[in-house]
Amino acid sequence: MSSHSVARGTGLSVSFIASAIIHLAVFLLVAWYGKLFPMDSPVQETYYVDVVNLPVASPQEGTALQSGSQTEQAAVLPPPPPAPSPMPLPLPLPKAAIPAKKPASKTSTDSVGNDSTLAERMAQLQRNQEARQEEAVLDRLRAKVKSAGIGRVGMPNAHGSQAGSDYTAYLQSRLKDAFRETISFSSKNPEMIVRLFIDSDGKLMRRVTERSSGDKAFELSVQRAIDIASEKFPAPPDKRTFESIFVFKPQGISQTRSK
Amino acid sequence: MAIIAGAGIVVKLVLLLLLTFSVVSWAIILFKFFQVQRAKSESERFMDFFWKSKRFDAIAAQVDRFTNSPLTVLFNEGYGELKKVVDADNTSEGSGFSTDLGGVENVSRALRRATNSEITRLEKYLTFLATTGSTSPFIGLFGTVWGIMTAFEGIGKTGSASLAVVAPGIAEALIATAIGLVAAIPAVMAYNHFQHKIRVLINEMDSFSTEFLNIVQRNIAGK
Repeated sequence: MSSHSVARGTGLSVSFIASAIIHLAVFLLVAWYGKLFPMDSPVQETYYVDVVNLPVASPQEGTALQSGSQTEQAAVLPPPPPAPSPMPLPLPLPKAAIPAKKPASKTSTDSVGNDSTLAERMAQLQRNQEARQEEAVLDRLRAKVKSAGIGRVGMPNAHGSQAGSDYTAYLQSRLKDAFRETISFSSKNPEMIVRLFIDSDGKLMRRVTERSSGDKAFELSVQRAIDIASEKFPAPPDKRTFESIFVFKPQGISQTRSK
Repeated sequence: MAIIAGAGIVVKLVLLLLLTFSVVSWAIILFKFFQVQRAKSESERFMDFFWKSKRFDAIAAQVDRFTNSPLTVLFNEGYGELKKVVDADNTSEGSGFSTDLGGVENVSRALRRATNSEITRLEKYLTFLATTGSTSPFIGLFGTVWGIMTAFEGIGKTGSASLAVVAPGIAEALIATAIGLVAAIPAVMAYNHFQHKIRVLINEMDSFSTEFLNIVQRNIAGK
């Protein structure tokens, strides 16, 4: 073999080494670029503003709205609509009210007096009927407000006199949004009950599976949903550790109770 | 990086194969680039030197300066054959150059042989570039198809076709096609580039062979 061919062979080996170095450099560059600009950065951050259950930093003294007083009822119940113009009801008239048949020779003055009495009685009956209907409607609305208010309003550990947000409902909303993205299941009616422990900074400390239907895909999707949602948990309003149980089903998420 | 780590074993093997193709093809590209560049520049210098020189033996003495030029190989082969013809004539007749065309034919054959050998040398490894350019996208496509098959299998198991379930598997699969294209595109470009450069060098070799034969024939005929 001549020195010429030896030199050519050496050139190829050098090229191989150079090529390997170039590839390594490109690999490192891509890795560095990936760290510098994470792939998920273009995804817009979702900001949740729950105007109904907006969390507050510090609980304040409750207003009469939460105490279920008359003000609440007044605020909840719209004023009754103006009474419609009295319509003559086809009610049977009492016998006494029925004018006796008079001979045709009766004067016109007597006839006018009987008509006015009848109209007054009719108006009275109309008012009584309206008052009864209105009372019935008010009773139903009071019952509804009373039942809907139990355990829903107020912050964790609040005792009904504190105003604030429903933190559990807020977490539930976050979990629901995350779960919508991750949901998957392989059984017919999967279910999973998870207890979440959140520290005073809003960080998810622990999660305990209370019960599961055994669907692995569903369990994974729930875990992923909790992971995604817990990235954005705000701190509990009273700066205390928070604990709540959520029931995950394909139909949605519900909460059982909170501490 | 996580997208590669999360891929299946077949996709990983495909990626490894494509990486090997890419490393080898880039090594060949670098090697050919410097080889062709040196051949071109030293051929130009050699031609200057050739036309400035008056005698073949003076050129032969300096030819080691242009070892990377294919023209020096042609000159060495032609000059060597010429010397053999002259020596044979001297031995047989004891007088100078032979005037018959048999000697020129010998030199012509020697130059043709050297040209072919230089073309083979210059085109060596280019086949690999052509192979990489034509097959890498298909190999990558194979990895993608396999990855998508696996992804759909997973989707069937989970029972959900949401974007969050479908997208990662498809992304992992598509990386194989991307790497296949990354390997193929430079290989095809380099192959076409070197084919053009080598064609130019072949033309130069043909021209030099013709000139060399003309000189030889003029000298032989002039004796």
